[in-house]
Amino acid sequence: MSSELRTREQLLAIADRIIDRTPAGTEAEVTVTETATALTRFANSAIHQSVADRALRLRLRVVRGGRSGVAEMQVVGDGAEAALARSAEAIRAHSPQGEPVHPIPPDGGADIEHGYSEVTEAVTPEERAEAVAGICAAADSLGQKAFGTYETAVTGVAMVSTTGLHRAARSSVAELIAVCRGGDGSAYGARHSAAASSIDVAALTAEVTDRCARNQGAVATEPGVYEVVLSPYAVGEMLQYLGLVGLGGLAVLEQRSFMRFGERLMSESVTLTDDVRRPEAAPLPFDGEGATTRPVRIIEHGVCTGVVHDSVTAARAGVETTGHSLPQPNSDGPFPRYLSLAGGDSDVDSMVAACQRGLLVTRLWYVRPVHPLRTIITGMTRDGTFLIERGRVVRPVRDLRFTQSIVEALSEVRSIGSEQLSTRGYFGATLAPWLHLGRFAFSS
Amino acid sequence: MRDIAERALDAAGAAGAAYADCRVVERTTQAVMVKNGRVNNVTEFEDAGVGIRVIVDGAWGFCGTQRTDAAGLEGAARLAVRIARASARTAVATVRLAPAPAVTATYATPVRIDPFSVSLDRKIELLLAADAAMDVAGVTTRLGSLGAVRRHQLFASSEGSRITQTIIETGGGLDATATAEGEVQSRSFPNSFGRQQVTAGWEAVEEMDLPGNGRRIAEEAVALLSADLCPAGTMTLILDATQAALQVHESCGHPTELDRVLGFEAAYAGTSFLMPDMLGKFRYGSEAVTISADATSAGGLGTFGYDDEGVAAQRTLLIDQGIFTGYLTSRETAAGFDAPSGGTVRAESWNRLPLIRMTNINLEPGTSSLEEMIATTERGVYLETNRSWSIDDRRLNFQFGTQVGWEIRDGRRARLIRNPLYSGSTPRFWNSCDAVAGPSEWRMYGVINCGKGEPGQVMHVGHGAAPCRFRDVEVRPA
Repeated sequence: MSSELRTREQLLAIADRIIDRTPAGTEAEVTVTETATALTRFANSAIHQSVADRALRLRLRVVRGGRSGVAEMQVVGDGAEAALARSAEAIRAHSPQGEPVHPIPPDGGADIEHGYSEVTEAVTPEERAEAVAGICAAADSLGQKAFGTYETAVTGVAMVSTTGLHRAARSSVAELIAVCRGGDGSAYGARHSAAASSIDVAALTAEVTDRCARNQGAVATEPGVYEVVLSPYAVGEMLQYLGLVGLGGLAVLEQRSFMRFGERLMSESVTLTDDVRRPEAAPLPFDGEGATTRPVRIIEHGVCTGVVHDSVTAARAGVETTGHSLPQPNSDGPFPRYLSLAGGDSDVDSMVAACQRGLLVTRLWYVRPVHPLRTIITGMTRDGTFLIERGRVVRPVRDLRFTQSIVEALSEVRSIGSEQLSTRGYFGATLAPWLHLGRFAFSS
Repeated sequence: MRDIAERALDAAGAAGAAYADCRVVERTTQAVMVKNGRVNNVTEFEDAGVGIRVIVDGAWGFCGTQRTDAAGLEGAARLAVRIARASARTAVATVRLAPAPAVTATYATPVRIDPFSVSLDRKIELLLAADAAMDVAGVTTRLGSLGAVRRHQLFASSEGSRITQTIIETGGGLDATATAEGEVQSRSFPNSFGRQQVTAGWEAVEEMDLPGNGRRIAEEAVALLSADLCPAGTMTLILDATQAALQVHESCGHPTELDRVLGFEAAYAGTSFLMPDMLGKFRYGSEAVTISADATSAGGLGTFGYDDEGVAAQRTLLIDQGIFTGYLTSRETAAGFDAPSGGTVRAESWNRLPLIRMTNINLEPGTSSLEEMIATTERGVYLETNRSWSIDDRRLNFQFGTQVGWEIRDGRRARLIRNPLYSGSTPRFWNSCDAVAGPSEWRMYGVINCGKGEPGQVMHVGHGAAPCRFRDVEVRPA
């Protein structure tokens, strides 16, 4: 089985054929998505799972007579396209009349592939195994065990509509995650890029094995309010949850968001944007309804300035869509696609030196919103938490549970690192620097 | 399906697999959602493909493909074998499988009314009626949803098993959200985070009486806006059955997954505090606590005839009157203990590798009742319906929040309280359990968002649970 994706032209041709099957007078929007994923997992310094799959997914949305229907198929073969058209039309016919979401017209945006690399598409199982073997050997040589994943994925998407939309693009991502465990402690590190060749395996291995060696024999420390120095992994996770609970237009319209436009809610050093044009984002240039994703200034020098929109929330808010839609129709509204916290002029060593008593946190784990309106989240530290005293990292400490408002944390920024790291999480990728915060509440 | 499976196995064997199995899967999902009096979304999703799993040179390989022609299957089988050979380069031990008999069988979820036979008109009418019931002053967002899944699958292995199964799931749920300055409160029915779902037919939705519960939850959401904050302190905690189900899921289901114990999930989902030398000895909970893994429970989302390794559904005690007694296992992990598989391996779909997953992890019914638990509690809180959940990577340190609570004073349910949180450490918490309600209050609940594995897999799992009581728990407001 070849891992090569269909070309953009081939994906568009499939979408065109499906549009042609819709009845006259019907507004229709077709999305054709092809993904090829390969992932090698390792544990205890050996590969224990390694997989590959490729899937073509077809989605058709039809609107006519005030009724709307959506059908999706992850099926190939004769008859799939016709069955998709029949299914969508049958659902439309049985849906009550209302005010359906209509397909949008093209906005003239270019289908620039900011994050696609043929190198990633060509990575073989043997090459993944070789990279993993190197990490395992390095860990073993230090008396550690290696765990993690090496993933390569390529995606092609074509969108065609009766309103004139006709666009397609590809993206790719290669990600290497490594966790090393010693006798009494562990460490985490991760790198991703559109191009597999850009991942510095040796640097990641050195980072994780070194942190693991330092994170042995952690002792308990009392919960309470600490200064914290957060790694980009932890900052990225925090930003993702900020986006989830409060940076979408629907959350604002439904009064679920903390955002108060024009008010300063965070430290002046905080500037937060969403910009998928960065290659680290491995982005597609358009969203789930085919709108070009535009950069959005969300927080400028601590002041709330904007949120992301889809066509539905934009119309209600009286603004233009920013191109952050999920496939329509949906009840969730738009979400940020690639949040970026602007870098400052500091670095981790300076942050530690400036900290009287605090915690250096590598990673946040199992984060969940506790009170979305107040941006309170809870979760655990994991894979490398260290006590800082009088400007020095003095020892590893056992993991702690935090329960903390993100907005309040970002109103106590002491300094921001100059270098940013692109990190991936459950809700996508973010670009984050090291961050020194004055207060962070650990509850148990 | 049979021809596809035979071709896939033949191709794997020809490519050099010492062992091979394949799953030919066809899955149809229907979702209907009504929001604020309007149909928000009606979607049907059809999914079909083949997953081929092989052992070559003592290592696993897996490939998923949508192509069911000879060339497509041969290509997928060859890639699975190539992946296994590449993996074998780092192997420190060869994969060994616990014996399992070759089986030829069929299984189908018993349903009275096929949910796909019920018209969209009827489904939309039901949700609109429930939506209207939630339309009370102060409620800003009303959501109602129905879901149905039909999964038809053939499992075939090079050892000779040929198993056909048809699993039907049906579910529904409501959410009412009220907002005021500085506060947002939601109430859900019958369960939060989407809907309550079971392996059953449309009859399960009819029994929920969604329209009959809409007004109550809407009024509760509004009342919560001005309710007092949950008190803080160490006190008695009573959980409703839905929250008890999630507590079991997070603090018993996941830590008894043997792949976590062996480190297979250490880089992602985490490990476990329940180590093998604790089996049969460790006091996980009080004598009131018995927890089983039961893939034969009626209606559970983990109910099936055979797992995705062809092992028959079975019931295993994980916790027996408080003592840790068992794990969730696969053929590979069980072999390390010279034991048969517990039959708990499942994959989200054809393109995902089968993993150890919860089946129905059930808190067995006790002898108490919610009424009795409240009546015999001097000071505490009664909490309903999950709002947030978090637990550490070893499944010890947890914190849960619920949508609603009531203070208990002198044996009576007193004032409504908002934003309750409780936290604890797993064994200490379950050892403080002094009462579980009896069979009349025991229900099967579904969790439809259980994530595990890389690439990620979202599994539907079941939990039978009843209200239960815990002493000396840390409780506070968010």
